[in-house]
Amino acid sequence: MNRSYKILAVGVLACILVITLTPYLWMLLTSFKGRLDILSPDPRWFFTPTLDNYPAVFIDKDYLPLVLNSLIISTASTILSICIGAPAAYVFARTDFPGKEDLFFFFLTTRMAPPISIAVPLFMFFTLLGLTDTVYAVVIAHTTFNLSLVVWMMRGFFAEIPREIDEAAMMDGRSRLGAFIRVIIPMAAPGVAATAVLCFILSWNEFLYAFILVAFEGRPLTVGIPGLITPHGTLWGQVAAVAVVATLPILIFTFLVQRHLVRGLTFGAVKG
Amino acid sequence: MAVSFTEVTKRFADGTTALDGLNLKFDLGEFVVLLGPSGSGKTTACRILAGLEHPSEGRIEIDGRDITNLPPRMRGIGMVFQNYALYSHKSVYENIAYPLRIRKTSPAELDRRVKDVAELLQIGSYLHRRPSQLSGGQAQRVAVARALVWEPTICLMDEPLSNLDALLRLHMRTELNRLHKRLNKTFVFVTHDQEEAMTLASRIAILKDGKLVQFDDPRTIYRRPANRFVAEFMGRPAMNTMDGMVENGVFRSGQVTCRVQCPDGPVTLGIRPEQIVLGGDEGFAMKLDVKETVEPDTLLIFTNDKGTLTVRTQRDCDDLAPGQSVNIHFPPDSLHYFDAKTGERLR
Repeated sequence: MNRSYKILAVGVLACILVITLTPYLWMLLTSFKGRLDILSPDPRWFFTPTLDNYPAVFIDKDYLPLVLNSLIISTASTILSICIGAPAAYVFARTDFPGKEDLFFFFLTTRMAPPISIAVPLFMFFTLLGLTDTVYAVVIAHTTFNLSLVVWMMRGFFAEIPREIDEAAMMDGRSRLGAFIRVIIPMAAPGVAATAVLCFILSWNEFLYAFILVAFEGRPLTVGIPGLITPHGTLWGQVAAVAVVATLPILIFTFLVQRHLVRGLTFGAVKG
Repeated sequence: MAVSFTEVTKRFADGTTALDGLNLKFDLGEFVVLLGPSGSGKTTACRILAGLEHPSEGRIEIDGRDITNLPPRMRGIGMVFQNYALYSHKSVYENIAYPLRIRKTSPAELDRRVKDVAELLQIGSYLHRRPSQLSGGQAQRVAVARALVWEPTICLMDEPLSNLDALLRLHMRTELNRLHKRLNKTFVFVTHDQEEAMTLASRIAILKDGKLVQFDDPRTIYRRPANRFVAEFMGRPAMNTMDGMVENGVFRSGQVTCRVQCPDGPVTLGIRPEQIVLGGDEGFAMKLDVKETVEPDTLLIFTNDKGTLTVRTQRDCDDLAPGQSVNIHFPPDSLHYFDAKTGERLR
């Protein structure tokens, strides 16, 4: 019974792995294929690998700055979201005020509308501000959706820290703000890290807003990929090369999140 | 050199009144225990003194300085919390050192003071540990050390012993007593445990429904309770109280009949279970209902259709059996008289 259950579990996991990994592996292989191997009508698993696609897109087509843009956008949006969202989440976790839960729910509803529905208004705002075609526009746009994530996640992390910790810090000589920044944030550090990594990934992967807000200057990698669809055909090898580079940080960060999301790292204050 | 609460009222947003015009004044150097049943406002009073709550009305002063609107950090008060509230991401050493780090104490001075207070509380060998590696008693000592290390004027303790097991609680109680004698600091201690209050306090403030009922040393609280509430609240088992009438110097209620020194009229008579005398020729007879042995004492509960009477005695009660009729005598010196309506002490 137990044994057959185990075999079933392994079987299901194997299927999921094959389904999710095959396209990724195919993309990885494609990035090392020559033009003929890519366009061959029958799928080729064995071929003579080439490294031409990487320099062709990152150096000849000057896509290297796009990596930097992606990094700038994701990092800045993550920092901005945490800096604005964490204090808000702390207030939600600690104080009571009329309409608190309604306001909290409102943060969730900001993610309910299809992103495309606010893409055009956003574009008009940024045109008015003269920010279109800059990384700033994308940073702010990404903060709009990351902020609600931060508020929702961080409230739970703060709520797990007993109020007495804030009070102890105040008795020890901190101001209310000082207690939050110097004591509560460090104690919630695993939560902050997990939230930050999720924000980073969401921003890094985002395509729609970035595509609408920046055409050339400040393009992140995701927006760079459609540029490889040329009138003479799609440059699949180069698309795959960009995609491989674009997924690397996500791979790394996903493993980080996995470790940080495991709870019980902290909050030993009450148990004593 | 005193701390004073003047007409302090605290109403919470949900409409409850935790403190209702509290007036309390005590000297620095005292060990004051705030005692009361749950909902009496004792914790609120402590938190208002700490600055963690703001009174709706009234003033708090230390040495004549109005601190009502000062934030906690500017009051010179340390606090020990019931759940210890240690910083789990810092070592024991850093937990204790934290108030000094905030005050930018020089490294040498900081190290000396942390080690001194750790030695005082016998936690010197745990300094490198994390709070999660401590037992409840050790964690509580760390919390006390952290509250005392920067030498605040007043140290508040909000039910600090409630989370400890019984034996450890007794031990920590003795330690706190010793600590107070040694440091000569002002301790304000909140508890609902009358035994803790009796053993620790230089004076006990008994609160009920947000008001101060009595503020006296433990002996006076026990011997001359200000009203029926204090009389019944302090002492275990509780004081026997009986409503009745005095006619020609004789008190009569459903349970008892006895001679009293009290003017005629309705009165509430009180007597402690341990001061009732069994046997002899004086007094009246009552039927023994339950016998409980709590070595070395025996609790005898007498019942008739009008009520019960509890007696605590150290005499050998092997000759007594439930159902038996026993002669009971109230020594006149042990009687307490309370107003039948208000419950206030009569003399």
